Amino acid sequence: MRQSISRAVLVVGLAALLEAVLSPYLTFGGVSPKFTLIGVVIAVSGLRDLQAVLLGFFGGVIFDALGGGLGFFGVGALGGLLAGILSARVGSVPRKGTEVFLLAQVAGVAVAARDLIGLAAINLSGLQGPPLEEFLVTGVLPDALLNALLAYVAGRWILNFVRGKEGR
Amino acid sequence: MGRRKSGSASGLAALFILCIVSLALFTVYVKEGTCTGGGCGPLHTVQLGAAEVLRPVRSLVATGVRPFEDAMGAAEDAIQRGDEEKLRKEAMQNRELAAEASRLQQENERLRKLLDGQRPDYRYGPLANVIAPVGDQFTNRVIIDVGSADGIKPEKPVISGNNTLVGRTTEVSRHTSEVMLVTDQMFAAGVRIVPPAEFDRTTGGLSPEDGDIDSYGEGMLRTGWEEYLGVEYVDLSSEVKRGDFVVTSGRAGEYELLFPPGLLVGTVESVSSEDIDQFKKIVVTPAVEPQDLEEVRVITDW
Repeated sequence: MRQSISRAVLVVGLAALLEAVLSPYLTFGGVSPKFTLIGVVIAVSGLRDLQAVLLGFFGGVIFDALGGGLGFFGVGALGGLLAGILSARVGSVPRKGTEVFLLAQVAGVAVAARDLIGLAAINLSGLQGPPLEEFLVTGVLPDALLNALLAYVAGRWILNFVRGKEGR
Repeated sequence: MGRRKSGSASGLAALFILCIVSLALFTVYVKEGTCTGGGCGPLHTVQLGAAEVLRPVRSLVATGVRPFEDAMGAAEDAIQRGDEEKLRKEAMQNRELAAEASRLQQENERLRKLLDGQRPDYRYGPLANVIAPVGDQFTNRVIIDVGSADGIKPEKPVISGNNTLVGRTTEVSRHTSEVMLVTDQMFAAGVRIVPPAEFDRTTGGLSPEDGDIDSYGEGMLRTGWEEYLGVEYVDLSSEVKRGDFVVTSGRAGEYELLFPPGLLVGTVESVSSEDIDQFKKIVVTPAVEPQDLEEVRVITDW
């Protein structure tokens, strides 16, 4: 099922803007909505690998440029890249009826990956990050679950948008 | 079939290359450091440009979000009323009359600080409004509406009222600055602990000027990952008591005078230590709650 690239770009760009502006208000402890990753995962699921990877990467770069998240350039880009390739790989296997559920799981995995990339970035930049075990339980796990739920709730609507009339 | 395979191969090749590019971006960004004196690196410049462009959007969102925040604050107050937390707060307020009087004084500070709150030997930026919070679960930062055009530079102390430290500037664009709050987990400052009787919280003055003040304790202020503000590395022999003031010492690690001495950070909430500990564990209640910040000033020189 083909998707419109221009619509996918629009979704990813808007998601990055939304996350950079709105996410600070919706951060509770170790959990915050990762609209960019959710947007990437759902928008690129029907695209080819190369398109998905490029869109994920540039979505992440936009997010980094807008000063979202940690504010470190490269963290969002790497997160978006992983989200893009995971989504494209899962999306290449046709599974009618359960694709939103699968993409929600991919979003959860992508969020967990970006949280860990963020922790690695903090430590690599010479700052002190939280202990890994504690962060996995109180940060990564609830964050992944919340964002998987968000992706599941918004997934069908976003998929319909990026596919347009012809793709459905 | 062959086309699909070649598509996958090009996708994997792109994935590999872009991973390297991402790591390179991260390395360059970290190497650039913060924007001080000699200007910004290209990646920081991009972010500062984006901050300028996003300023009206953030202001608009902040205006839209404020009624919801007020409603949530009111709901929290209603839930807390009558429970243990409320009683504990009231008991603490009764015991700390001096702190209570100071808190009441803060209501008038917004006007007073414009008239006589400034230290004569300090230079201040113009009064700045908090536009919006930024960052994610790892950070606790806000954007304020003054920037390099107003004489603001990175790594300068940001205060509320006359003398209460709320954070420091990090990235500064032409009309906006990012402020890392004292409750940000990456914030650190050298502090000393002083009894209320020996500290004037409106002027930052200590009495006696030097004397035996060091015996009350010195250490490093930072927010732990357990999300409480604390003072680390305070000697076990220090005479720290609950209700003491925590003020900047004028030095922070390797940075000389990153903050001027005598800026109030908060009050000591609890002091504890185990037999095996090398240092006291001190929890601090911030003098200003980050979510209550509306107007701040940057100390540009001292």
